[in-house]
Amino acid sequence: MKRHRTIIPDLTRRRLLGAGAATLGLAGLARPGLAQTQDVALQLSWLHSVQFGGSYIAQDRGYWAEQGLDVALLPGGPNAPVEPPVVAGTALVGISAADYTAAAVEQGAPFRIIGVAMQKNPFAIASLPANPVEVPKDLEGKRIGMALANMPVLEALCTLNDVALSEIEVVPTQYDAAPLLAGQVDCLLCWATDLPVAMAMEDIEAVTMLMADHGYALHSQTYIATEESLAERRDELVALMRGEVAGWTDYAEDPDAAARLTVRMFPDAGLDLATQVMQAERQVPLMFSSLTDEHGFGWFTPDTVAANIETLALLGRDVGPELWDRSILEELHGA
Amino acid sequence: MAPDGPPSATGRAVSCTDLVKVFDASGDPVQAVGPLDATFAAGHTTALVGPSGCGKSSLLRMIAGLERPSAGTIRIGAETPRDLTRRAALAMAFQDAALLPWRSVRSNVALGLSLARQPPDAARIERLIGLVGLAGFNDRRPAELSGGMRQRAAIARCLVSAPELLLLDEPFGAVDELTRRRLNRDLPALWQGTTAILVTHSVVEAAMLADRVLVLSPRPATIMAEIDIPLPRPRDEDDAALRDRIAAIAAALRDSGPDRVLAAQ
Amino acid sequence: MTAPATRRVARPAVPVVRVGPLAWRVLGVVGLLLAWEALARLNAGSYVLAGPVAVAIHGVEHAGLLGRALRATLVNAAWGFLWGNLAAIGLAAVILLVPRLERLLVALALLVFCLPLVATGPILRVAYGPGDGPQIVLAALAVYYTTLLALLVGLRAVPRSWLDLVESYGRGAGAQLLHVRAMAALPYLAAGLQIAAPAAILGAMVGEFTGAERGLGVLTIRATRALDVDATWTIALLAAGMAMAAYWAFGALLRRVASDPPALLLAPPGPALRRGRRRGAAGAAVMILVALALWQGGMDALGLNSYFAKRPGDVLTFLVTGPEAASHRATLLAAYAETLAYTLPGYLAGLALGAGLACAITLAPGLAAVAMPVAVALRSVPIVTTAPLLVLALGRGSVGTITIVAVMIFFPTLVACLQGLRQAPGDVIDIFASYATGRWRTLVLARVPAMLPAFFAAARMGVPAAILAVTTAEWLATGRGIGSLMALTASTSDYNMLWSAITLVALTAALAHTLVARIERAVLRVYGPEQLAR
Repeated sequence: MKRHRTIIPDLTRRRLLGAGAATLGLAGLARPGLAQTQDVALQLSWLHSVQFGGSYIAQDRGYWAEQGLDVALLPGGPNAPVEPPVVAGTALVGISAADYTAAAVEQGAPFRIIGVAMQKNPFAIASLPANPVEVPKDLEGKRIGMALANMPVLEALCTLNDVALSEIEVVPTQYDAAPLLAGQVDCLLCWATDLPVAMAMEDIEAVTMLMADHGYALHSQTYIATEESLAERRDELVALMRGEVAGWTDYAEDPDAAARLTVRMFPDAGLDLATQVMQAERQVPLMFSSLTDEHGFGWFTPDTVAANIETLALLGRDVGPELWDRSILEELHGA
Repeated sequence: MAPDGPPSATGRAVSCTDLVKVFDASGDPVQAVGPLDATFAAGHTTALVGPSGCGKSSLLRMIAGLERPSAGTIRIGAETPRDLTRRAALAMAFQDAALLPWRSVRSNVALGLSLARQPPDAARIERLIGLVGLAGFNDRRPAELSGGMRQRAAIARCLVSAPELLLLDEPFGAVDELTRRRLNRDLPALWQGTTAILVTHSVVEAAMLADRVLVLSPRPATIMAEIDIPLPRPRDEDDAALRDRIAAIAAALRDSGPDRVLAAQ
Repeated sequence: MTAPATRRVARPAVPVVRVGPLAWRVLGVVGLLLAWEALARLNAGSYVLAGPVAVAIHGVEHAGLLGRALRATLVNAAWGFLWGNLAAIGLAAVILLVPRLERLLVALALLVFCLPLVATGPILRVAYGPGDGPQIVLAALAVYYTTLLALLVGLRAVPRSWLDLVESYGRGAGAQLLHVRAMAALPYLAAGLQIAAPAAILGAMVGEFTGAERGLGVLTIRATRALDVDATWTIALLAAGMAMAAYWAFGALLRRVASDPPALLLAPPGPALRRGRRRGAAGAAVMILVALALWQGGMDALGLNSYFAKRPGDVLTFLVTGPEAASHRATLLAAYAETLAYTLPGYLAGLALGAGLACAITLAPGLAAVAMPVAVALRSVPIVTTAPLLVLALGRGSVGTITIVAVMIFFPTLVACLQGLRQAPGDVIDIFASYATGRWRTLVLARVPAMLPAFFAAARMGVPAAILAVTTAEWLATGRGIGSLMALTASTSDYNMLWSAITLVALTAALAHTLVARIERAVLRVYGPEQLAR
């Protein structure tokens, strides 16, 4: 990939995966660290929760500090901008998603996706066992609750699976499970890792159909940075992503610990430990796959990128593979 | 200030020449005053009486510098009203007393000094409050006073800065008859020697307070009659000589008043 | 010398609202609690309503967390309250000293006040970066306009003679401000602060939605998503309690600084009447030019990136001259039409309910003891927590949104109309009484006309409130209309559409405000000419 640099630290994927990130400190001795402590920010896409557990581990275990990086983790929210702080330079890296990133690029934002936290898109159709949606075809004749903003997502799913969109009654709802439980809708378009978890906590085991299992290939929780940062702040990007990779690698080994850490680090966020533990476990299969086992956390290939480009086309986003830039990961993983 | 002394030369004579005031707020000009010529003798109290709405208040406000004449000139000594106000050398009393409700009597009187940019003078303030008969009420708020007491406080505020010209715009118009009689009897002595111009619609009040009464015509105001009242003070409303003057003013007013207007039509 | 009249002038015999017999109050509160608990138990399993018992338990169990969140929100709200009101005081002073600027400044202030929170929030976040900046600024934005209006009325609610007094000593506008107007305006300021206090809390909570570490707004989002109805209601009641406490506290302050609290909302509809139509049009043109210049200049001065901070020219291209302008307009106007269809009925219903209940309270004073606390509570619960709950309870059709708008309008209208009803001159009421006129006829013939100025003032102030309500409901609950469009475009980086929507909403607010003011003048010319004179 372009802007690939030859200085590759003495850090192999095997060592990273095998020995865990504990070896990072030692490896750091052989690595050109940052000259002095750099303050950077990582703009998260939502409020603090175990959704970003790997980042908290990186923070807590000093994976950034030992590289001379002081990372501020900026929370998101329902009205929080994610892409603009990255453009404005407030944040070095933002957590976006391929579709949002594509939209931003279409509007002239100079972004590249430099890593992919969620290999499988977390969007799912949640329903109740009495009236389940187990395959896309089941959607026909159902009332689905969703934000109208997500219509392109539903349309894409229907196109991919030959479902008649006209047979589905779309009910605009806010993003919570109450309309489903109140019987106002038959199913919800939501993330597999939040509303179904909330329902499970109320002892309601929802049927969850992951859209990624039905052709909806779209990278989520993607790391984005500007072209300018990729050119001029490369050391900081590498250091930041190295910490992320190390944190998430630890996370995969013990999601429960990540959940506990999250609750401990953010006592004011109103987090419930049981909910965080379940969410932490449920997002593991979305983030880690044979691909990441082989190449390391965050990895993507021309094939996964091609699949994403197809899905994005269904969503009305016309992008090419140049939106993805693997050079930082390659520098880390030594591919 | 010498409340009991004879008329002195500390006051200024006021003269109005070809004075005209036209109000043109709504595109429909109304001539309120003039053309009017009048002089107000130094150290004397002159009353302006006339039918309601005849423009006597406009005349007073022009002398106070609160309104600009549309034409003509006003001179106070050799100065314009603006010159005088700039020196804070005049004081005006209003029909509603214009006491600030959040200030005590003492503080309202003190305001007369501070607005005139004079240094605070607690002794002088106390003395004036005493002179207007409000001793013991220094700390009361206006809301705790009767209408007559409020006017006394307002007069004290006017006098505390020792003005060269005192303007009184129906100062006792809003108080009851009994109180008004008392005020008419007690207060004039306080500003003896100062040039004072009083606007009133009460013939009795004019006769009680003034050395000379100017009777104004209906709008636009012009001088219809001048009546001297060379009577000693304190005056008594039931005094025969005063009653005589009152009758003269009333007659002049009748001649100038609405009846005349009707007759002319 | 007459005896000092220490007795204050008696008020006309209309009930003073906040005083209700204690027994009535206790009965009312207990009744409400019981009805609430019963309703909650009936609706168990629908995830809409938590009863008082569940709320109490949740509150005790999470006291520490709630306390910290409350503190965070209150601190930001307090700072915003301070800055917003200082800004209002500064603006009012400038307007007073340079009266020529009044129309322009007040119109700009209204325009800024009408900028939808859903749109300003993210922009502030980008401008401020992480921290409490957006929370404080949004709280300040939520309060400054009402305070400004209250102050402008107060600074002018001064008898002519007080100003003449100062002028007769050759002193100018500065001395008038210092010696007369400032103190005379204090009761109005206090009344303005009373209205502003709950608004500041709402502003701070909305600010937290732009990405905050802690606060009641953060907990609200969490609770809604986690199906934690107990938490949602506890937070809503906590926020409402704080807002009400602030409201009462400033009410108490108001009663201290003013023996006779001013009829605050009697803001005259502005001095535009005497000017010709052409001058009015020229004024509007100047206003628009200044607004555009501030928009462009502000963004340039702050160096905001044109990717998200679109300039007037971008919007023009997007909506008018660009290649796909027609389809952009169609999208925007469709959402706009949908929003208007909810806003208008809600706005009118809120006005009608407010005025109606005010009249009912005048006819049956006992009603006040029950109705007023409920009305204050309804107004104080932050709309960001109530909107989703109301929509869930009332359905996602038009009823829910219309109700939310109506609730936002209802309380200020009620308070203003009650004040207005009290304005009926006592001697007019006495005349009616002497003819043994019934309460109802007295109301219609004497009190309602006296109420009209206050009613219209509330109607004018209701315009920005209705827009806030409808965009918030659409954004957080129904996912329709222009509120939802703004949220969507912000998340998909369609900032041209976002700024177009902002422009449209702000223009609508300004136009609606002008329209209400026109109707107001026409009505007041008949029923309250003294309101138009200054």
